[in-house]
Amino acid sequence: MSSPILEGRALVKSYDDGRVAALRGVDLKIDAGEYVTISGASGSGKSTLLHMLGGLDLPSSGDVLFRGAKLGSEMDLDTFRSSQVGFIFQAFHLLPTLRAVENVQVAMLAIKGRANHRVERASALLEEMGLKDRLQHFPNELSAGERQRVAIARALANEPAILLADEPTGNLDSVNTGHIMDILRGIRESRGMTLVIVTHENDIALSAPRHIRIRDGRIEA
Amino acid sequence: MGIGAFVALVGFSRSFEHEWLRLYQSSGTDIAVLQSSMFNSSIDESLGAKIKALPEVAAVAPLVFNLIDLTPDVNALVYGWPADSYEMDSLTFTSGRRFRASQPEVVLGDLLAQNLKKKAGDTLTILGETFTITGIFHGGTALETGAVIMPLDQMQNISSREGKVTAFHVRLKPVPAGETYEQYVAKVQKEIEALMPGIRAEAAAARAGNNQIVDMAHSVAWGTSSIALLIGIVGIANTMAMSVFERTREIGVLRALGWKGRHVILLILTEAGVLGLAGGLLGILVGLGALWILSIMPQTASVVSLSVSPGHIVESLLIAIGSGLVAGAYPAWRASRLSPVEALRYE
Repeated sequence: MSSPILEGRALVKSYDDGRVAALRGVDLKIDAGEYVTISGASGSGKSTLLHMLGGLDLPSSGDVLFRGAKLGSEMDLDTFRSSQVGFIFQAFHLLPTLRAVENVQVAMLAIKGRANHRVERASALLEEMGLKDRLQHFPNELSAGERQRVAIARALANEPAILLADEPTGNLDSVNTGHIMDILRGIRESRGMTLVIVTHENDIALSAPRHIRIRDGRIEA
Repeated sequence: MGIGAFVALVGFSRSFEHEWLRLYQSSGTDIAVLQSSMFNSSIDESLGAKIKALPEVAAVAPLVFNLIDLTPDVNALVYGWPADSYEMDSLTFTSGRRFRASQPEVVLGDLLAQNLKKKAGDTLTILGETFTITGIFHGGTALETGAVIMPLDQMQNISSREGKVTAFHVRLKPVPAGETYEQYVAKVQKEIEALMPGIRAEAAAARAGNNQIVDMAHSVAWGTSSIALLIGIVGIANTMAMSVFERTREIGVLRALGWKGRHVILLILTEAGVLGLAGGLLGILVGLGALWILSIMPQTASVVSLSVSPGHIVESLLIAIGSGLVAGAYPAWRASRLSPVEALRYE
């Protein structure tokens, strides 16, 4: 039996001095190389759970463990985010003043010893995403699908173990949605990465071998 | 603008000091003898003979000087020199001749003559007395080239200082073997000060940097520049705070990608430093322009020249970059404390 790469133990996240609860005690284990989708209604807590799992935020109580190490105490959150996790967001979150190839390099700047061959590696990732002729384009010169592919290349820049995607197709048409999902599944298979996707689209949610539904801050049985 | 003020004002005061030093050097003066301070220095003229009698002294030049309004727009340093002063040798006459002793005659520096539109043979009224301009000279320094020089007794007369002088300039004989120049000058300084109580003999180089006018110019320049720099720092801090505010989501992205707080601080401080450097370069150009204007304006041309040292430029750039870093420190610290989730949600 494989040990989980990510584990959430009794995760609670509340805001406004406890008056608003986004997560109400979530227990979750995700194995290395697993493909998991998380779905739920708006405000159900699915994105909050993804933020906890990705070390973007700490739970109000409970722990997130990466390969058995508690995030925030036994493992530094910045180090975890820069070296073990690649994020993909619905709104792409590319830096508007940087070209595509520079946006990918930005992620590499967070890790020491990644200074060499940054341009070559960023270019190779963008070529892998089918953006060979878009390396020098600024985000506003790219289509929505192209922007998301740049964001995926950026998420892969530091060869993370886990890819976390928050509504990655939320801003895309059906053609681009299919394309992006093919890319994400292909990456998981070719690289053996763990893939966790938060989505409100049933087709995508049900396409994964494991599907988790969140309701009112709890995992539905 | 802060850096511009710094370059112009501190450059002005240093230029002023530099001109004093050149004034002494060009005339070959080794020691300046004054009473207590330059503003109220008044020494009995008879001291000159006693100084001249010292064995190390080659020549003594008594002088009276004051800053006097020549026209409503033009003021200038007016000197009273003996007609046979050794300092006269440092002047190069471009027209006319020297003045004669005890005659109502003056010579003008060429810059002042140009500003007053005067030439040899014209007359000039100073404090109600009319003088004939006997010559136009080109002096080595702005303090001379923008000045009026008249016979000592004439200057004493119009400034009601009969028998008194502002200072003595002393030229020494060659340094004896076995002594350094500094030792030699220090020895003669003591001998001169022993001649009369209440007087001070200073090495010319030290005098250029120590005199009260130069000190005051330095103080005013640094004080004014500091206020301008403070305003500049507040301006950059405001710009950087706005920049951080507007780029909250961008900073959130960097944090989400694993950038540590110190990486964000470095980014913001680098931007603030570059902003300071750019402002500094612009300020230096503005400051040099202002200094150039001061060096040609009739009101100030007599005391300043456009001579800015490379050290002053480097100092200005370092202050500009330092100001940027100081101004960027708080916005950088705030940016580094942003929560990635909160920053990414920011609209």
